[in-house]
Amino acid sequence: MQWNDRRADLQATLKQRRRGVSRGWYKFSRNPLSVVGLVVLGIIVLAAIFAPYITPYPGHAKPYTNFAQASQAPSAEHWFGTDRVGRDIFSRVIFGYRFSLLIGAVVLSLGVAPGVILGLIAGYHQGTWVETGIMRITDVFLAVPPLVLALAITAMLTPNLMNQMMAIALVWWPWYARLVFALASSLRSEYFVREAELTGASKLHIMFKEILPNCFAPVMTKMTLDMGIVILLGATLSFIGLGVQPPKPGLGTMVAEGAKRLPGEWWGTVFPALAIVAVILAFNLVGDGLRDVFSVEEV
Amino acid sequence: MDRLLAIKDLHVGFRIFEGQLRVLNGVCLDVKEGERVGLVGETGCGKTTTVKAVLRVLPTPPARITGGEIIYNGQDILKMTRRQMTMLRRHELTAIFQDPLQSLNPVFTIGTQLRDIVRDSAIGRGQRLSRREVEARCLSALHETGMPDPERIMTNYPVQLSGGMRQRICIAEALSTNANLLLADEPTTNLDVTIQDQILRKLDELVEEKGASVVMITHSMGVVRDLTQRVNIMYAGSIVEMAKTRDLLERPKHPYTQGLMASVPKLTGEGVSEGIPGRIPNYLDPPPGCRFHPRCEHRMEICEMTAPPFFETGDEHQVACYLYGGKT
Amino acid sequence: MTQTSILTVDRLVKHFPTKAGTVRAVDDIAFDIATGDTLGLVGESGSGKTTTAQCVLGIYPPTSGDIVFEGATIGVMFNRRSKELKRKIRIVFQDPGSSLNPKRTIKQILSVPLRVHGIGTDRERLTTMSRLLEMVELPPADYLYKYPQAIGGGEKQMVAIARALATNPRFIVLDEPTSALDVSVQGKIINLLMRLAKELNLTYLFITHDLSLMRNVATRVAIMYLGKLCEIARTEEFFRSPMHPYTNMLLSSIPVVTEQEESLKPKKIVSQGEIPSPVNIPPGCSFHLRCPERLPICSEVDPEMAIQEDGRVVRCHLFPAR
Repeated sequence: MQWNDRRADLQATLKQRRRGVSRGWYKFSRNPLSVVGLVVLGIIVLAAIFAPYITPYPGHAKPYTNFAQASQAPSAEHWFGTDRVGRDIFSRVIFGYRFSLLIGAVVLSLGVAPGVILGLIAGYHQGTWVETGIMRITDVFLAVPPLVLALAITAMLTPNLMNQMMAIALVWWPWYARLVFALASSLRSEYFVREAELTGASKLHIMFKEILPNCFAPVMTKMTLDMGIVILLGATLSFIGLGVQPPKPGLGTMVAEGAKRLPGEWWGTVFPALAIVAVILAFNLVGDGLRDVFSVEEV
Repeated sequence: MDRLLAIKDLHVGFRIFEGQLRVLNGVCLDVKEGERVGLVGETGCGKTTTVKAVLRVLPTPPARITGGEIIYNGQDILKMTRRQMTMLRRHELTAIFQDPLQSLNPVFTIGTQLRDIVRDSAIGRGQRLSRREVEARCLSALHETGMPDPERIMTNYPVQLSGGMRQRICIAEALSTNANLLLADEPTTNLDVTIQDQILRKLDELVEEKGASVVMITHSMGVVRDLTQRVNIMYAGSIVEMAKTRDLLERPKHPYTQGLMASVPKLTGEGVSEGIPGRIPNYLDPPPGCRFHPRCEHRMEICEMTAPPFFETGDEHQVACYLYGGKT
Repeated sequence: MTQTSILTVDRLVKHFPTKAGTVRAVDDIAFDIATGDTLGLVGESGSGKTTTAQCVLGIYPPTSGDIVFEGATIGVMFNRRSKELKRKIRIVFQDPGSSLNPKRTIKQILSVPLRVHGIGTDRERLTTMSRLLEMVELPPADYLYKYPQAIGGGEKQMVAIARALATNPRFIVLDEPTSALDVSVQGKIINLLMRLAKELNLTYLFITHDLSLMRNVATRVAIMYLGKLCEIARTEEFFRSPMHPYTNMLLSSIPVVTEQEESLKPKKIVSQGEIPSPVNIPPGCSFHLRCPERLPICSEVDPEMAIQEDGRVVRCHLFPAR
């Protein structure tokens, strides 16, 4: 039987992918908490994207004051209450999620790719000066605490969100380099890599087409869990005044503003803080679920 | 004449993404005291699952024991409490698995692991051993399996040793507990031929000495020939033939057994047979009736309808095949 | 060395310096393989059979000695070998579980050698891959899109064979290709390999520890022990009257299944002792400590390979060169 119909080939390839996705979903859904996490995360992401359309007071995310409504406790009109200049906290929290998610996305996009590539190269060339060079540079960056470096950089340059994100990205890539380095150096001695080498495949092919697909799972899981940490880091920087600047509604910034009014006007701090907790928890639960998805079932 | 272990009609299934895997389909196995029994079957036939069921170490979320009994010394293992099971595993049962890398803890030295085992199994019997006695027993256990330089081995980590040596340590660990029933799951598959020969003879000797019973699981007919008194052939989740070893090897009756015997390359040099056509069944949707019927050249209508029971064909030789009875 | 030898190995030595001492994995061996033959290389752990194959493939450069393939010396590492050479010499590994990348489909796996060696255009590749799978009797429509985990060990090994054949090779190293497989599947693979050898005029270096299999598959058999060759002979002669004491020990340890085979085995030599590590090779003949027929000279002088009357080569003081 001749099998050379390109359309059938494409169909078969797609069918295989679909099956992989359904199997992945099955494994993910075995753990109810992961599903909860995914749902919460979905809600948060959608809310953040559609913030101007779904929040009751979208204008409050911009410069706005209304001292008549200031410092009101949570009520039917203002679910999370208002802050000391009269802005609706609920709407600001939803807009605040935009910054948090943005920071996570940007840091990981900037930090993960270089880290993975460097780790891949170092791992495949283990035992040579290439590995030594790359890994020692990685060590240097790992030695610096992220918060301190981010502080230093944002303090030197103007404190704003962009610089903050760059700073965190700068210290984030070494973790991925280490992770992928460990994976790549152990995969290097697998028979299928050896076979590709003996066939004459190029180093690029071996690194990116043979080894990298086997690193995908741990990297994805780590990324999901890292989102939570990065968001927290961003919120911390905002809290101390080096991140999202007022009057922008960063979650950390809001916590700082509201902290001055504790314990009386608790809603100013507590709700933004809970919002931070919610998003981090959601990412962690999803990360757990992803780990199950990638685990190999043993029967 | 006492039956130490009697597995009766064991059914085990696994729940996976695509559905329910009905793996064990009524396994029946007997081991008498002091007897050496072989369990021969190929990859995927369920022999490891059976061993794990006896030890009650099947991971029970995906796995489920859906029927049958495992009677050890008169008690049903499947109904035992956690504590009873622990006692059983400590003193009565011991196992050797196929992959020593999974059985040995990579972060402890061999000495640490072996000493723990020797001490624990002795304490269970109410004996307290001095350090020197524990050490002596460990060294002698290692020496018994033919390890060179036991003192140095005690200080090594599993990764420092070759695969064959690791397996010998697992065997040493198993034998040092003086258990009554040894479940050996392909213990010598990865060993060199001359070493395998040594180990099997040593195993034979030691088992004889201690009066233990052995269930030797293997896919090698040659190994059962030398080591066991009775042998069971397993296919796709149930036993298809059982007999005294020499009898089965010389007069295999079940078509599967005959196929297996024909597939083994022989020293007489008649070439390599094509093996048995087909594949093991898909446990998600196993064939009805006799699970071997799709691959059997002697299949009849009744084979596709109900699974055959055991038919006695003289001198303790039982075959689960309609060629030997029950056709009407 | 005959004209029809496709591979000749001469005075091959491979030592690995380690902290514990030099591992003399391969210690001066020589053999040749005629085109179309299957040489069975048999040995236990530490024998050096795998290292020998690795030197032939170029995974390691030899410490000294020559490896000549189709008339040209090739004793260098694979990354310094020509692509053409890599096309001609291929390997099938022992463990099908790890010789196929679990994250790639069979189609992607088979496309690698085709792309690397520029075999066929993009359009033709699908056809070529189907043809390869059909050669190993796996229906392409099903198997191209599967991942290795979805297929059985025997089938994985057949994919590995298809992959080896993808470049139209001349010589294939088979490193224990059926050791990890069930006996009922083994037959199919072995018969396939034998058939392909005839159809495509392939030469095999077949490494195994299974002597019963060797009896039915190899045209010549070579036994290695601790880096040295003990005996090389044509299969029938080898099994009919083994000469070297180690060969006898090996043959007498094989588990067989019939009385007939039992009677063919040499008298039972109880194998004593452990295989020494290749770091601590005993002086004189490396086998003398375990040899039931050792002579005083054996602990002092290492014997030479000696050609016997029937053309076989034995390395033992009991059979000295004439």
